[in-house]
Amino acid sequence: MKKQLVHIKGTKEGLVLRLDDQCAYAELVEELERKVSEGGIDSKVDVQLYLGYRYCTSEQMTELIQIVQGPGKMLVSNVHSEVITVEECNHRMLENQCDTYVGIVRSGQVLKAEGDIIVIGDVNPNGRIEAGGNIYILGNLKGMVHAGVNGKEDVIIAASHFLPTHVMIADQIEVMSNEQPIVLKNADQLFAYINSDGKISYNRLQDFRNIRPLLTTSKGGS
Amino acid sequence: MGEAIVITSGKGGVGKTTTTANLGTALALQGKRVCLVDTDIGLRNLDLVLGLDNRIIYDLVDVIEGRCKIHQALVKDKRVDDKLYLLPAAQTTDKNAVNPEQMKNLIDELKREYDYVLIDCPAGIEQGYKNAVAGADRAIVVTTPEISAVRDADRIIGLLEQEEIEPPKLIINRIRKGLMNSGETLDINEITTHLSIDLLGIVIDSEDVISSSNKGEPIVMDPNSKASLGYRNIARRILGESVPLMSLEDEHKGVFKKLISIFSK
Repeated sequence: MKKQLVHIKGTKEGLVLRLDDQCAYAELVEELERKVSEGGIDSKVDVQLYLGYRYCTSEQMTELIQIVQGPGKMLVSNVHSEVITVEECNHRMLENQCDTYVGIVRSGQVLKAEGDIIVIGDVNPNGRIEAGGNIYILGNLKGMVHAGVNGKEDVIIAASHFLPTHVMIADQIEVMSNEQPIVLKNADQLFAYINSDGKISYNRLQDFRNIRPLLTTSKGGS
Repeated sequence: MGEAIVITSGKGGVGKTTTTANLGTALALQGKRVCLVDTDIGLRNLDLVLGLDNRIIYDLVDVIEGRCKIHQALVKDKRVDDKLYLLPAAQTTDKNAVNPEQMKNLIDELKREYDYVLIDCPAGIEQGYKNAVAGADRAIVVTTPEISAVRDADRIIGLLEQEEIEPPKLIINRIRKGLMNSGETLDINEITTHLSIDLLGIVIDSEDVISSSNKGEPIVMDPNSKASLGYRNIARRILGESVPLMSLEDEHKGVFKKLISIFSK
């Protein structure tokens, strides 16, 4: 008997379609089309696709989804795959890593990072930092900072001396000319974040653990 | 083999040309062979400050385009015997007439014959700046105690740090003691911590500098001026001596007070 390329299994959440990851793509498409058109399904049902270790380009992915959804009875809710490309993997690693920059970000310089960045040194007026993640500055922050460039809103900007000209988080921008009372009082050890109202606000680093408790990754201190 | 030092600032009018002329003369007075190169093509004026403008025959662009030999274009300063030479900039073309590689070759050639090659950089960060920096081994950034000059100095230091040269040194020019002591301008400490590079020296603002520039005589020729002392100290530091920074205290003490201060030691 020929090996089955598409396994269909019923679960509480709907159907699970397990696609063989060893055969040729064309064969798989053929078999999938046949299985799907066999019918026997009366009402609408959610389907999850398991691709296994087969790498599908986004065009192939949409083709498979279209085949399954073709008869109109089945709706693909999720596609699982065990593999990603090196490019994607590198990108994810970059987004999660923390870069370190030692030196001064001077007027006119732009420092960019995919993920978090630690700057050991000052950020001078007109200097600019753009990071996909959080920004930590061990020095005087007197320039412009933009955290969450790609739209991440749960990021923060912290500095040992916090006197920036512009603070940007995700798509929000704050010009520091309308001085914040907390910054005016003492610019030491502050951080900026987006509060529950969706506005940029500032607080002492001591309060950091109450505002972003999830950022901690180490459980130290016995 | 000599050393090429570029003198730059970003902002115009802070005293790059005056500094170049005076440091060059001071180094020559210390017995070094010095060549000054004006790279501000199209807007030359280093020759005027040195009082050598009427002796120019060929210029930098003539040398680079092969219309003359280097030694034909060099103008000798007769006041400092056979120690100080000037390679003037061209007045008729613009800064794009030269590219950084040509400048580098030219400076390398000059370095073989002179102990110090001082390059006077034009204001700005465009082609002229790139040309001036191309051949340099070290850089001196000139600023004044104004926020605008300090901002531009910060920018230029950032650019210099990208180049493969030694970390730049700072000269704070045109210091007005009164304004600085009363806190009206940035003080030396604020500037050096903000820019965080080594301070090479300070020069007190003085009317003598302007009048001597207009006469075509660098102020270092006049040993009695405070500004002259500043430049001489900087020249000695370039030569490797350690000279303490001059104080900014007012020295308008009467004879009687001076006597008291001597006896109270």
